[in-house]
Amino acid sequence: MNLAIDVIQALLLVAIAPLVSGVIARAKARMQNRRGASLWRPYADLLKLFRKQDLVPDTACGLFRLTPAILFAVTVTAAAFVPVLHPSAIFGMSGDFILLVYLLAIGRFFLMLGAMDGGSSFGGIGASREALVSALAEAPLLLALISVAILSHAVSLSGMVLCTVQQYPFHLSAVYVFALGALVLVAIAETGRIPVDNPSTHLELTMIHEAMMLEYSGPSLALIEWASAIKLTLIMALLIGVFVPWGMATSASITALAIAPFVFVLKLTALAIAVAVIESSIAKLRMYLVPDFLGMASALAILAVAFTALMR
Amino acid sequence: MGLIELAAAKALASSAVFLFITLLMMASAKRISTCIVLFSIQSAIMAAEILAMAYAGKSVGAYIVAALVIAVKVVAIPYALFRIMKDLKASQDVASSTTGAQSVFMMAGLILLSFFAVAPYAKTLRLDEDLLAAAVALLLAGAFLMVSRKKALMQVIGLLVLENGIFVAALTTTYGMPLVIEIGIFFDLLMGVFLMGLFVFRIRDTFEHLDVSKLRRLRG
Repeated sequence: MNLAIDVIQALLLVAIAPLVSGVIARAKARMQNRRGASLWRPYADLLKLFRKQDLVPDTACGLFRLTPAILFAVTVTAAAFVPVLHPSAIFGMSGDFILLVYLLAIGRFFLMLGAMDGGSSFGGIGASREALVSALAEAPLLLALISVAILSHAVSLSGMVLCTVQQYPFHLSAVYVFALGALVLVAIAETGRIPVDNPSTHLELTMIHEAMMLEYSGPSLALIEWASAIKLTLIMALLIGVFVPWGMATSASITALAIAPFVFVLKLTALAIAVAVIESSIAKLRMYLVPDFLGMASALAILAVAFTALMR
Repeated sequence: MGLIELAAAKALASSAVFLFITLLMMASAKRISTCIVLFSIQSAIMAAEILAMAYAGKSVGAYIVAALVIAVKVVAIPYALFRIMKDLKASQDVASSTTGAQSVFMMAGLILLSFFAVAPYAKTLRLDEDLLAAAVALLLAGAFLMVSRKKALMQVIGLLVLENGIFVAALTTTYGMPLVIEIGIFFDLLMGVFLMGLFVFRIRDTFEHLDVSKLRRLRG
């Protein structure tokens, strides 16, 4: 029974990831007084790309072909670590939050290699920028998760979620507030949203993530697009799970299990609309200000860890 | 326990955290208007704190003080600052001499420092350690904002944050000052803001900028 829910929640994350992108795009369009495309357009895009021919640059070696598959596989594996419907996951074990962070890092590493293998100069620019952003984002991401781990006396994500879900919503600890602040800033950088990166432009001066997938086409592009949608959804699910997990099925009763998906989708929609609001109201930062932005995340994460000792 | 008691207890327990958040956001703010709004929010948190204390202590004077805080610090002073800013027609930039990340790091350091500074006193005097630390952090943060921001209007906001710190310190150590003194302080503060506003106008008219770092040759 538990295993079935674990599998279902991982598949749910993978399946609804394009829909989350669709919701964000639609909400952004509405905020800019446009009608916007259908919510299901990302699925149609993926279907279209899967049917197209896969073009590979002459200069590229096998790594270029392999990268989308590795990225997709790693991201789907990472999705299997996140508790969504109940405080447990397929690969739940001690220290799984560290593995989750570095699984995402492996995917990013291969994407950078593939971008440089593609041979275009934009790929190189995108890869070097991505390296800068990810190097600076790694420390606050880990520190924030560790501070929550220390506070909840848990070594796994499911333990952290269980600790939060058993508290009352208003019993907020300073650690949670600072860790949430740090994680939100890091999540923006990790998933390449405004103000760090703009996912909807292909402007050579500003793009980071888009520059890396510029040489990809057809099924490879589809896999990369899907993987980045899954990554966005899984980081949102992680934020929901660690900080606002109320509504999750803590017991194995049918009603709790029936309510959990609806509550999760509701929270995910709210978060997607929040992302759209942020993206519509904030301008993109200059590249040189991104370290500053992530420095704030680091300060918050360090404060969160320090507060685990100060506020018990 | 009724809902209001619960809300009052929570407001007291978590107000320090919210004060820290406003401080960190002030450190990262790039616009003066953001800082003014944050100061208003900070004062609103203080007002909630006083209301919670008034509810717990059943004192009528504290309700009046809370009303004064809301009238003067949440509404009147931010409104006056916005008016001054509009009339000055100056740029919104706070002109910080440190980068955003440095400011936030510094502010985080000040918050931690204030915890270590109050730890011995909080234990011996049996006071609420978080709130006392918040008071010291507000004092230090106000001074830090005044030192690191170059715009004259930010010195005013820094001073107001510092004053908030003194207020919270009085609140946690003696449960607020007598009502007459409190009213006097608010009146002083309001006049102070108007006077400082006049000074800012004079600085702008005489030097045609608001950058206080360029006022080094101004010696009596």
